[in-house]
Amino acid sequence: MRAFIVFLAFQMVMIPGWVSASHGPSDHVLFEKNSLYQFISVEENSDKRERYILFNNSGADQDRGIQGGIYIDDPETLLFEYTRMSFVSLAFIDREPEDVLFVGLGAGAMPKYFYKYYRDANIDIVELDPDVLEVAEEYFYFSEKENMKVHIMDGRVFIKRTPKKYDMIFLDAYRGDQIPFHLTTREFLKEVKKKLKKGGVVISNITAESKNQYFWSMIKTYWKEFPLRSIFRGENSRNFIFVAPMGNPGLKASVILTQAENVQASKGIDLSQITTWSWDYQKNNSKIYRVRTLTDDYAPVNLLQYKKMK
Amino acid sequence: MIYVIVFLGGAMVMSFEILGSRILAPNFGSSVFVWGSLISVFLAGLSAGYYWGGRFADIRPSLRKLALIIIIPGFFFITFPLYSTRISDWVFTLDLGIRMGPLLVSMFLFFIPSVFLGAVSPYTAKLMIISLHTSGSTIGTLYALSTFGSIIGTLLTSFYLITIAGVKSIIMVEGIILIIISLPLFYLKLQPFSEDTGRLEGGTVS
Repeated sequence: MRAFIVFLAFQMVMIPGWVSASHGPSDHVLFEKNSLYQFISVEENSDKRERYILFNNSGADQDRGIQGGIYIDDPETLLFEYTRMSFVSLAFIDREPEDVLFVGLGAGAMPKYFYKYYRDANIDIVELDPDVLEVAEEYFYFSEKENMKVHIMDGRVFIKRTPKKYDMIFLDAYRGDQIPFHLTTREFLKEVKKKLKKGGVVISNITAESKNQYFWSMIKTYWKEFPLRSIFRGENSRNFIFVAPMGNPGLKASVILTQAENVQASKGIDLSQITTWSWDYQKNNSKIYRVRTLTDDYAPVNLLQYKKMK
Repeated sequence: MIYVIVFLGGAMVMSFEILGSRILAPNFGSSVFVWGSLISVFLAGLSAGYYWGGRFADIRPSLRKLALIIIIPGFFFITFPLYSTRISDWVFTLDLGIRMGPLLVSMFLFFIPSVFLGAVSPYTAKLMIISLHTSGSTIGTLYALSTFGSIIGTLLTSFYLITIAGVKSIIMVEGIILIIISLPLFYLKLQPFSEDTGRLEGGTVS
């Protein structure tokens, strides 16, 4: 009897979700599995020649839990706007990144893309769900390399445990449409900061206000921990990219724009998304003063997934 | 009064379990091992509590002793913020691996309160049987109330409480509630079942 209630409690961690960008509808399913943490499926849209990995897709809505994807005919190119936006962060560091961490694997598109341009960098990827790694290898042309390893464990535990420091840390761990609460809190961001090298950068993918009740709380939490920050607002998707460089207070916008051009010219990486930079996004909105900072004690972010948005 | 206590006891156990997942996540994540540790420790605590509570109930059961069974977890709840982070951080530094770490910290933080909250059910069953003769339906009612309390505790905590308050303050308030509801028990008297001459006030069974 009580075991049943406990079972219900356990089920609470499985959260159905929505999508980060409007893609699809897909017309056939390649793979489905109930993993330890979520329902994973791989679907394709044969007109657009796109393939997606979805978590907990609900089936009814076409905007359903897409976590990542590739162009079937061109798996090396980044399909999603937010992934292209994330690499704008390369303009925020003044050196070649040597140690890079990705929290959340998805289809593996971002680390794979990064590896293509920075063959000598040491890339760590943390993913909680072992089945996600299998799917990325099987359907998304992802593979581990000598200097690109996937660690199957909780992102926060990895960050706390690792003795390494990184030039860049990409935070993109979603379960369905929500970030697990312990990866949103101020304490977590403090731990992340400790694992950044001087002048390193944190890059976070945050779902827009229309689909994320705690958007302003998240922004505020980052704001408190990172004195320098820039927000990039997706034009075609509901994603925001938060880029927070550590230290180097002299970093000027003009320097960043020049650096973006340099990276683009020398590496051939497309940094045109730098135009999505929303200069004063947080300053212009008073909502940030009215919300609570997220802490380990108070962070209801992954519990209100069914609540209707205003 | 006893019905209220049984209901609240059931509610507190599950509320504490839901909140427990939030307590463990910063150091141990939200892996399936964390949930497994948490759930098994609560069930271990409850089964120990059922067993021990039943035996304790056979030795001169009284409402005052029931009050103590409720006050002790109440005290653990109120002082929870004082030790939870320290214990969790300490176990984290031991680096026992992804399974043993959360299991050990769950033992430290959740086992003892759930033993006491588990003991409430058999103890109240004994008290009720002393004063009533329909023991089957009495125990059935108590089980139902306890589990119904658990459902309410689960839903209220996860759907509502966690969105309005911090985890530690919720636990502290629950501790205060436990202590408050235990207080009337010091003044209430057991009313033994009148037709049964073999039973005396105070519940001694010959």
